Amino acid sequence: MGTEGATPERRTTRSSSSLSKPSLDAPKPPLSTRPSLPNDLLFSDEPLSIDTLLSNFPGRGAQVLEILRLIGPPNSPMLPLLLHGGVSTGKTSVILQILHHINRPFVYTSCCSCHSPRILFESVLNQLFLHRKNPSNGYLSARRCERASDFINLLRDALSQVTGSPRGKKSKLDGNGEMIYLIFDNVELIRSWNKSSDILALLFRLFDILNIPEVGLIYISNAAPDAYYSMAGSVEPVGVYFPDYTVDDLFNIFMLRSPANRKLYSSFLSVVLKPFFRVTRRIDELATAFDPLFQKYCEPLADLNLVPDESMKRRLFVRLQPHLSASLNETFRVPSECSFEANKEGTCSKKGNIRKLSGRETSNELDFHMSVSAKYLLISAFLASRNPATLDAALFDSTGGSNNRKQKKKSSQAIMDQKDEMAEEMLLKGPGSFPLERLLAIFQCITSVGEGTLEEEQLEDGMVIESGNVGLMSDVLLQLSTLCNANFICKSGSCPLEGSTRYRSTVDEDMALKVARSINFPLSKYMYRR
Amino acid sequence: MRRKPLCFPPSARSLSQRIRGDAMTVAEKAQALLRRRLCSPTFAHAAFKSSPESNYSKLRFLISSSIAEACNNSVLLLGPRGSGKIAVVELVLEDLKAEHPDAISVIRLNGLLHSDDNCALKEIARQLCVEHQLLFSKMASSDDNSQFVMDMLRECGLAHKTIIVILDEFDLFTQGKQRLLYSLLDAMQTLISQAVVIGVSCRLDADQLLEKRIRSRFSHRKLLFVPPSKEDVQRLLECLLHLPKDSSFPSKYVTEFNRRLSNILSDKKFKEVLDSLLDVDGSVSNLLRLLFRAVSYMDMESGLLSLENFKSAYLCTYRQPKIDNLEDASILELYILVCMNRLETKEQNSYNFNSIMKEYKAIHDAYKTSDNYANNVCLRAFEHLLEQELIGFTDSKGRTPSIEFHPVKLLISSRELYQGLTSNSSCPAILQKLFDHESYK
Repeated sequence: MGTEGATPERRTTRSSSSLSKPSLDAPKPPLSTRPSLPNDLLFSDEPLSIDTLLSNFPGRGAQVLEILRLIGPPNSPMLPLLLHGGVSTGKTSVILQILHHINRPFVYTSCCSCHSPRILFESVLNQLFLHRKNPSNGYLSARRCERASDFINLLRDALSQVTGSPRGKKSKLDGNGEMIYLIFDNVELIRSWNKSSDILALLFRLFDILNIPEVGLIYISNAAPDAYYSMAGSVEPVGVYFPDYTVDDLFNIFMLRSPANRKLYSSFLSVVLKPFFRVTRRIDELATAFDPLFQKYCEPLADLNLVPDESMKRRLFVRLQPHLSASLNETFRVPSECSFEANKEGTCSKKGNIRKLSGRETSNELDFHMSVSAKYLLISAFLASRNPATLDAALFDSTGGSNNRKQKKKSSQAIMDQKDEMAEEMLLKGPGSFPLERLLAIFQCITSVGEGTLEEEQLEDGMVIESGNVGLMSDVLLQLSTLCNANFICKSGSCPLEGSTRYRSTVDEDMALKVARSINFPLSKYMYRR
Repeated sequence: MRRKPLCFPPSARSLSQRIRGDAMTVAEKAQALLRRRLCSPTFAHAAFKSSPESNYSKLRFLISSSIAEACNNSVLLLGPRGSGKIAVVELVLEDLKAEHPDAISVIRLNGLLHSDDNCALKEIARQLCVEHQLLFSKMASSDDNSQFVMDMLRECGLAHKTIIVILDEFDLFTQGKQRLLYSLLDAMQTLISQAVVIGVSCRLDADQLLEKRIRSRFSHRKLLFVPPSKEDVQRLLECLLHLPKDSSFPSKYVTEFNRRLSNILSDKKFKEVLDSLLDVDGSVSNLLRLLFRAVSYMDMESGLLSLENFKSAYLCTYRQPKIDNLEDASILELYILVCMNRLETKEQNSYNFNSIMKEYKAIHDAYKTSDNYANNVCLRAFEHLLEQELIGFTDSKGRTPSIEFHPVKLLISSRELYQGLTSNSSCPAILQKLFDHESYK
């Protein structure tokens, strides 16, 4: 397909990049500086055959055939199509491959990369005018187009150039130019634009407004068609639904992208696919989870090309089992940099408890580095959000030690109910907000507690902390703004009476416990428990 | 309704060959002809040309009389979307242009594009220039444009040429100050002009939106477009789908095709399908969409339409998106939905992700199921549900920063959830039990 740098290389959607099909290498079209025939809006490779097309998309055979029938024979007009379905179900790749197969010119724009009407209009026009932004024209578009009325007029000009039909007159199709298809991807994102209802109305009524039979319109959307019903009546396009994949389809798709040893990979998949299928059906998420698991699966095998027999399969499965359940619970975890390096070095040294009992190997240490004062500040913020302000006096006495609250063991029903209610409120309302003074007060209290342990750490970290709180205080306000930028603490609304801003801590309990553990701070003694 | 597999031709290869145009058989030519008819709305409405009571005849009479008597006129065409208003206007103009070749000049404006007055004036000026082979300057100011338009109106009036202005999406022109409408209608009254203003709108009360001074200048002629009656639909179907006898198709094929078609059209099941389609939306464009789909499904081996084509086209047209999403949901997502349903039945007015997790853990403690996942996995599934719009936040701009504390609600009813659970092929039995269970712990 022609022109723009990003789009003809078929914007690698996650599904298409995970299915690395050899025939889909981005065709680099020749740079044409003179206006040419619609042939430049085609894929410049050989068209695919139907067998390649169908085998590239296991599980999508019915949709491929339906779209082929709705598009119809050459020179046959088409009502607008809407392809809708879940995320990464193959909508974009299917339609682009189909157009490759039937070898017809098309123009592709995505509302994800063209995030405003002007960019959308200009992208369509650039492709139709076969214009490429390069230094010679100062990276300008072919035509400047901001308003919808200009867009329609320019679009008519461009299409008449391309299809050779006389402008403005109703053209008869017999013996005239071929069809050209306009594809609009990610249409559901338009709903969050400014003046979205106008733009959506324009887009979906493009067929009626243009009234050019040679143009075929195809919309791709993640949302169902009823998201586009508008108040003033809407024109419904012909819809094609892309359901999510079934287990067998997923199996076939993963086998497409399997590494060399297919039998090994298929035995791996038969173990792994069903449990993960219960959690999610999306290919992109499954793919990111399966890759590291497959590495682990192949670890004990000396020769990666051997075909496993039944006993070996069973042994491999048993070995993989604990990793499997661990990975299931971390399905969507994005591994951070230091864990990558640890894996590379081959040392999986995890400090802290590794609870092998439940078969889970969760790391109880932080993945990233924070300075000591920042950690204390984070813990103070967590406590300030978590505990009601009235408890401060009881928890932190003047010496800084925690005054274990005198347990009033009045377990009367009223108090229990009250505590349940407070628990419910905590669940609902989320972390409370606190003023800056309270944060600093708590910070001072707990750092004086940690003085003893602080001195040992001080030598480790190479930080010079003067004894007493004065040295830490100057860091604190800087650290506060760092934590705010990192979204560990956020600003909430300010109280109109007091005038100062209030803050809110956004870390959850697990994270706070990890931080506390790393500086040996007894967090649980200070947390308000019902 | 259950998703049924589509019936598609046995050999995909021959299908693709035909679509690539490698060999155009008679069947394909017939299909191309039918598709061409169905994609152009004017063909469909041309079927009603002949009857004297139709809107076509009325509109034609109105315009031709105003051309003949050299007077101004205005009319509103009102009707639901897809009832063929613009199609009828185009048909009338086509015929009148054939009759009086030089006496008509047409300007088309659309409320979606030209609701801004300056923009509209520029567009009118541009179209006038194109029609009369004048040079249009993009740099002209709106004063220049309006002066030009007035001059053209006067000139055309003197030359006995009627200018017909079509205002599509008329209700959008009535937003704001309505200056364009006023200047047009005022010009028609004061200048020596011959103009017909045709307003087209899908709002039936479009004339109530006009300001007083404009309404007084507007003649109160309205043409209402109603959905066609049953006999009209029958006539329309025959007109659209019957192959013409004098065309390039072999006559034996044509007779066979038409005979098959008449059988289908008189079949009781077909009438049921048609009725259920027209009960939802009786407009002509809805019918055309169904026919387009059915014709696309035509069996290419025989080249004949069958009742199955129409039935499967109907099934594909009316899907239930929320049930589809529920059928595709993974098991964890179903768990979350059932937990939310339980919370709603317990009449908890507002709940968020953390309360849902509490319920989820309670279920697992009680029933010891195998689907106990960690919080972050559930959070991701929760986000999937938000994307698919099966659940939503109760207030979109809350002050709560994180997603776990934002109150949510279900966007599907209990009944839909139940239907989704039963039709989901991998739904575990415990979920249905939890759903039906009246007493909760």
